[in-house]
Amino acid sequence: MTRELSYVGKPIPRADAIDKVTGSASYTHDLCLPGMLHTALVLSPHASARIVAIDSQNAEALPGVRAVLTGRGLCYQLGLYMQDKCILARDVVRYQGEAVVAIAADTLDIAKAACQLVEVQYDLLPTVLDPREAMDASAHLVHPDLHTYEHMEGVFFPKAHTNIAHHQKIRKGSFDQAFEGADSTLTASFYNPPVQHVPMETHVSVAQALPGKRMEIWTSSQSPYTVRHLMSVCFDLPHAHVRVHVPYVGGGFGGKAGLGLEPLAYVLSRAAGGRPVKVAATREQEFNTLPSRQGLHSTIEIGASRDGKIVALKSTYVWDAGAYADYGVNIGRAAAYSGAGPYSIDNCWIDSFVVYTNKIFGTAYRGFGHLEILWGIERAMDLMARRLGMDPAEFRRRNLLKDGDTTITGEAFTSGHGNPLQCLESVAEAIDWGTPSEPSVDSYKVRGKGLAMLHKAPAMPTYTSCAVVIKLDEDGGGDILVSGVDYGQGTYTVLRQIAAEELRIPIEKIHITWECDTAFSPYDWQTVASRFAYMGGNAVIQAAADCLEQIRSVASQALNVAPEDLDFEDGVVFPKSDPTRGIPYSKLTLGYTFANGNSIGGPIIGHGRFIAKGLTHLDPETGQGLPAQYWTYGAHAVEIEVDTQTGEIEILNIVTALDAGKVLNPKLCIGQVVGGVVQGLGSALWEGFVFDAKGRFLNAGFVDYKIPTAKDIPRHMQQILLENPQPGGPYGARGVAEHPMISVPSAIGNALYDALGIEFNTLPLNYERILTRIKEKVEPS
Amino acid sequence: MHTIRFTVNGHVEQATVPATMTLLDLLRDRLALTGTKEGCGIGECGACTVLLNGNPITSCLMLAVEADGSDIETIEGEAIGGELSVLQQAFIDEGATQCGFCTPGMIMSARGLLNRIPDPSHEEIIEAIAGNLCRCTGYEAIISAIQLAAARLSQDIGSRDAQEGRAR
Amino acid sequence: MRSLFCFSGFKFVRFQRGFIVLGDFEYKRIRSIDEGCHCLAEAAGKAAVLAGGTDLLVEIRNHLKSPKVLIDCKNVDALKQVHVDRSGSAIGASVPLNRLIENRAFHTTYPALATALLSIGTYQLRSRATLAGNICNASPAADSAPVLLVLDASVEVVGIRGPRSIPIRDFFVGVKKTVLTPDEIVVSIQIPQRADLHTTFLKQQRIRGHDLAVVNMAGAYSPGERILRLAIGSCAPTPVLLEPIKVDVGNVASFAGHVAEIVLSSVSPISDVRASSGYRNAILPVLVKRILHNLLAEGGAS
Ligand SMILES: Cc1cc2nc3c(=O)[nH]c(=O)nc-3n(C[C@H](O)[C@H](O)[C@H](O)COP(=O)(O)OP(=O)(O)OC[C@H]3O[C@@H](n4cnc5c(N)ncnc54)[C@H](O)[C@@H]3O)c2cc1C
Ligand code: FES
Ligand code: FES
Repeated sequence: MTRELSYVGKPIPRADAIDKVTGSASYTHDLCLPGMLHTALVLSPHASARIVAIDSQNAEALPGVRAVLTGRGLCYQLGLYMQDKCILARDVVRYQGEAVVAIAADTLDIAKAACQLVEVQYDLLPTVLDPREAMDASAHLVHPDLHTYEHMEGVFFPKAHTNIAHHQKIRKGSFDQAFEGADSTLTASFYNPPVQHVPMETHVSVAQALPGKRMEIWTSSQSPYTVRHLMSVCFDLPHAHVRVHVPYVGGGFGGKAGLGLEPLAYVLSRAAGGRPVKVAATREQEFNTLPSRQGLHSTIEIGASRDGKIVALKSTYVWDAGAYADYGVNIGRAAAYSGAGPYSIDNCWIDSFVVYTNKIFGTAYRGFGHLEILWGIERAMDLMARRLGMDPAEFRRRNLLKDGDTTITGEAFTSGHGNPLQCLESVAEAIDWGTPSEPSVDSYKVRGKGLAMLHKAPAMPTYTSCAVVIKLDEDGGGDILVSGVDYGQGTYTVLRQIAAEELRIPIEKIHITWECDTAFSPYDWQTVASRFAYMGGNAVIQAAADCLEQIRSVASQALNVAPEDLDFEDGVVFPKSDPTRGIPYSKLTLGYTFANGNSIGGPIIGHGRFIAKGLTHLDPETGQGLPAQYWTYGAHAVEIEVDTQTGEIEILNIVTALDAGKVLNPKLCIGQVVGGVVQGLGSALWEGFVFDAKGRFLNAGFVDYKIPTAKDIPRHMQQILLENPQPGGPYGARGVAEHPMISVPSAIGNALYDALGIEFNTLPLNYERILTRIKEKVEPS
Repeated sequence: MHTIRFTVNGHVEQATVPATMTLLDLLRDRLALTGTKEGCGIGECGACTVLLNGNPITSCLMLAVEADGSDIETIEGEAIGGELSVLQQAFIDEGATQCGFCTPGMIMSARGLLNRIPDPSHEEIIEAIAGNLCRCTGYEAIISAIQLAAARLSQDIGSRDAQEGRAR
Repeated sequence: MRSLFCFSGFKFVRFQRGFIVLGDFEYKRIRSIDEGCHCLAEAAGKAAVLAGGTDLLVEIRNHLKSPKVLIDCKNVDALKQVHVDRSGSAIGASVPLNRLIENRAFHTTYPALATALLSIGTYQLRSRATLAGNICNASPAADSAPVLLVLDASVEVVGIRGPRSIPIRDFFVGVKKTVLTPDEIVVSIQIPQRADLHTTFLKQQRIRGHDLAVVNMAGAYSPGERILRLAIGSCAPTPVLLEPIKVDVGNVASFAGHVAEIVLSSVSPISDVRASSGYRNAILPVLVKRILHNLLAEGGAS
C-alpha cells in the first residue's frame, strides 16, 4: 500500500519568506563587525598591459588606511579546476576592470580617496579579443605560463604555449563518412556574447584573519565548502581553521559558485593586523571585475537523410573564456558531452575549445553553457528541417532520444531518463503548433511561432557528494543541517517537505537554519548544477531513516515490542497491533525515561549522505563515458509579434514543458520556471557585453546593460510539468532550476524566422539587430 | 554637518549628517535599518525604495539632509507588532520572493501603489513596480501578490491594514 | 556556541560605512529665489541647483561633476506651484513629475507632455525628478524637450540681474549645456495653452522598461493653420526643433516622406552604445510616419 503524501508534491510556502518580506533577512551586504574595515579597488583601465610600477605611498600615508595590497606580494594561484588566477593582477593585467590594488580603510570613503592617490604605470601589451583569433599560433598569449598551471588532471587538457585552456572531444561513429553520404547537409555558425548574471546582491565577502593561522569568512556564496577547501589549499591551512559562514544570499545564478572576493578580503585582513575586512563589489565592479557568462562561437554541421533522420552531426564550440578559465574549462567540457542536443546521433564529432582572451572572465551561469550551445543546435535543427521541407516539430520527433538509443558519450537512454518527446508534444499542442498565428491588428506587425528542445545534466565531478544531519528536538521536531545554500531556488523548503514526509511529523516542526556554517553544517560540494534537491533530498531521506531507526530501537524497549512491529505516524511511534499505545517522539528524542526514572537512548541525531553514482571521466580522445547523474529534458514554444518598422519584438505566449520526474513543490517549481524563462528572455533579446576595439567594456552598469523589468515579461506564460520518475531521485525527482532558461533564445530565434523569413544567428535579438536584418532583406545591398 | 529631524516608521529620529550622505546610507549605516537594500546606487534598480511622505522614492538618489522634516517609511515598518501586513502575507502566499534581495523595495513600491490606488489595474501594478528589478521571480508572482493583496484589502476581511486605515 | 553572529536573530549596527559615494560638497537649503541667486553668484560657477537630484547626484557619484555647494530649491514656495488654465500654464521648477502626471487638468491640457513625462525613468524617479531638472540637465535625450519645443514653451529664470524669459528653442546650446548663467535659477516653465493644437510624443527605447531614448520626437499640428511642428531628441547635440512645415493633407504618404527628408537633413545622429546612427536614421522616418498618422487622423476628424 502506498501512503498518500502529506507534504511532498504540495505547494508549501517557503519558510524563509517571512524574513524576506519583513526585511529582517540579513545578507552579507548587511553585515558589520566591530572594527570592520571597508575596501576600495583600483581597476585596470587596459585590457592587456604590463604593470611597470605602482606608487601607493600617498595612499598608505592617508589617515585611516589600514592595508594597501598589490599583486606583487601575493604569490598565490587560485582555482577549482584550473589554477590560473591571482588574487590581484600580478605583473600583467589581462582584462579591463581587473583589480590591481586593494585598499582597506576605516571607512569606504577613505578607501576610495586612497585609491585616487595610487599611481599605476602600465606598458601596453598586444590584446587578443576574439577567441577564434586567439587560437592562432601567432596570437598574443594571455597566459604564457599555462603549461605550469596546476589543474584537475585527466579531466582537463590545457595546451601548452597556446591560449587553449581546455579542448574536449567527442567522437562517436564516423562523422566524415556519414556526412558525405547524407542526402542533405547544412553548415551554420552562431554567436552568443558574454553576459552577466546580475544577482541583485553583488558579490561581497567579509573575512577576518585570526591568531593561530585561522580565518573566519562571511560571504555571499553558493559554495561554503568549496570556499573553505580552496582557501585552505591556497593559504596552506588545515581545513578546520577556515570557517565559512553563508547567510542569506541575494541571488547567484552560478556567478557565486567558485571563489570570489574571499581571498582578497582575507589577505587584506591579514595585512591589517586581523581586523575584519569587507569587500563589496559596486554594481559597476559586478559587471566589470567579477566574472560573467562566457561568449561562444559555434559552428554546427548536420547531415540528414531524406526522411528526416540525422545521420551525422559536428559541432565546433569556441568559448570566449576571457582572462581566466577556472570554471570555463568545465563549461567547455559539459558543452561537449551535451553538445548534440537531446537527439539520437550515431555519427558525432564535437570539439569544444575553451580559449583565453583579454576580456572579463567567464564562470558558471544558470544552464552552464547549455543556453549557448542550444542557441546554435536548436536553430540549426530548424534550418535543417526546412532544408528537408519538413515541419520542425516533425523533424525533431524523428530524432529525439528514445528508449534503446545511446547518447553521444555512449550512455544508454532509457525511459528512466524522462520523456523528451512528451515535452515536445506538450508545448506543440499548447501553442497550437501547425496553425498559423492570427494576424496582428497592426498591419506593420507580423507574428510567428517557434519551438525548441532543451536538455541538461548536472556538470559535476564524479565524486560530488553531500551530507545532511537531522537532530531531533525536545518537542519532537527536527532541525536539518545542510551546507548547500538556498539562495532563492527553494531547496530548503523542499528538504523540509521531504524530512516531514519521511519522519512523519508535521512540517511546521521541521526547521532549517538560514546560515550555512562549515563549523557545524555537514559537507556539501557546491550549490550548483540543479543537483541540491536531488542529492540533498536523497541525503535527507537517509538521515530521516537513521532517526527513525534510533527511535524504533528506543521505543521497542520502552514498549516492549519487537522493533519491526513498530510504525510511525504524526510524530508518534506505536505498535502496529495497538496504535493507541504510541509514544510521541518528544518523549524519545533526548532519551526515554521509564516510570521509575531509569532512562535509555539519548539525543537522536540522524545522518544521511549521497555521492554521485557511477560517473566516469570521459575518454580524452573520444569523450566516451558516463558524465551525467541524470538528464532533465524540456521544450519551449513561443508565439511572438514583431514590429517590422522598429524591430521591436513582443512575446505573446511562451509555453514551457519540463520533465521534472516528480514535482516536489509545484509553487516553487513554477517560480523557478517563470523566473528562468524571463532570465532567458534577457539573454535572448537584450543582454550582452559591448566592447570597443581596445577591449574596453562599454555597458558596465544598468544604464546601458538592460535586464527585463516587469514591463518586459511575456503576455502569457504557461508551464507544463511532467512527471516521468527518475530512478534514484528523491520521490522520482530530478533537477529543474537551470533548465527553464535554456533554449528560450532558440525558440524565439525560430519564431523570428517563422514571422519574418529571416535567419538570426547572433544574440541578442535586440530591436536594432532585427530591424537591420529586415532592412537588408527588403533592400539588399 | 547638518542636524536633521524626521520620522522613520512613525518614530522621531534626529541625526547629524554630512551633506554628502545619502538617505540610503543614513538608514542602513546610522539607523541600522538594513532591510532597505542597495543594488546600484544610481536609481536604476529600486532595491533602495522607501516611502517619502507616502511616495516611493529611491533612497540612493536622495541626500539625507533633504529628509529633514519628512516622514520616511521603510520595510521595517510594514509589519506592525510582529504581525504581517496583508501585502506581506500576499507576497508569501503567491511565492513572490525568491532570493529576497529585491523584496523590501518591491513591497515599498507596492505599498505606495496601494496607498494611491486601492484597486490597481494590471497596467498600474506594472507601472508601479517596473522600477524594481528582480532577477529571480520573473515578476509574475509579484504582480499576482499585489493583486491578491488589493483583493483581500477590498474585501475588508477585518484586516489590520483596513482597521488602521492604511492602504485606504 | 553556534556562532557569534546569528543572522536571523540579531543584527550588528554598522559603524559608519562612510559616504564618499557622493564626493565633497556643502548643502544649502534656500528659502527664497533671491537667496538662491546670491548663493549661486557667490560660488562663481562652483555651485549647482539641486532639484530632484536624479541627474545631479548620479553625475557627482560618477565624478562627472564636482560642485562645491548644492543649492536645494525645493523649499521655495514659489517654485512649488502648478497653474494650468486657459491662458497657459506655469510649472514650478521644483514640482516632481508625478505631481504633474497625476494632475488631471495637466493631463488633459498637455496629453503629449504627460506621455513624455511618464516615459521618464521609473515611478520612484518621477516622485523626485522635475521638469526644470530635465531641461536644465540638457541631455540630448531629455524626454520633455521635444514636446516643450513644439509647444513653444519658455523658461522663466531669475538671476542677480533680475528675471528673464527664455524661449525653450533658445535654451539648449550643446550636450549638457544651456544658456543659463551660473547665478540663474529656473523658476518655472511656461507653456502656452493652444486648444487648437493636436500633439503627440513618441519615444523609441531598447526595452519596454525604463530606458533613455534612442530617438524621441514630438509633433504639434494646427488643423486651422495646417501647420506642423516637429522636434527631435537624441539625434544631435541638443534637441532639434524644425521650422514649421505647411501640411499637405492630400497625400499623407508622400507628405510623410517629404517630412522624413527634412528631419533626416536636420539632425546628425551619432553611434553610441545605445544605438548606431544607422538605426537612429532608420527609426526617424518611422516616428515621423506614426506622428503624422496620429496627428492628421485626429486633426482630420476634428
Ligand atoms: C534611473 C534613471 C532613469 C532616467 N530616465 C530618464 C528618461 O527616461 N528620460 C529622461 O529624459 N531623463 C531620464 N533620467 C534623467 C533625469 O531623471 C531627468 O533628467 C530628471 O528630469 C532630472 O530632474 P531632477 O529634478 O532630478 O534634476 P537634478 O538632478 O536636480 O538637476 C539636473 C540639472 O539641472 C540643474 N537644475 C535643476 N533645477 C534647476 C533650476 N531650478 N534652476 C537651474 N538649474 C537647475 C541642476 O543643477 C543639474 O545640473 C533618468 C535618470 C535616472 C537616474
Ligand atoms: S540602489 Fe537605489 S535604485 Fe538601485
Ligand atoms: S527575489 Fe531575487 S531579485 Fe527578486
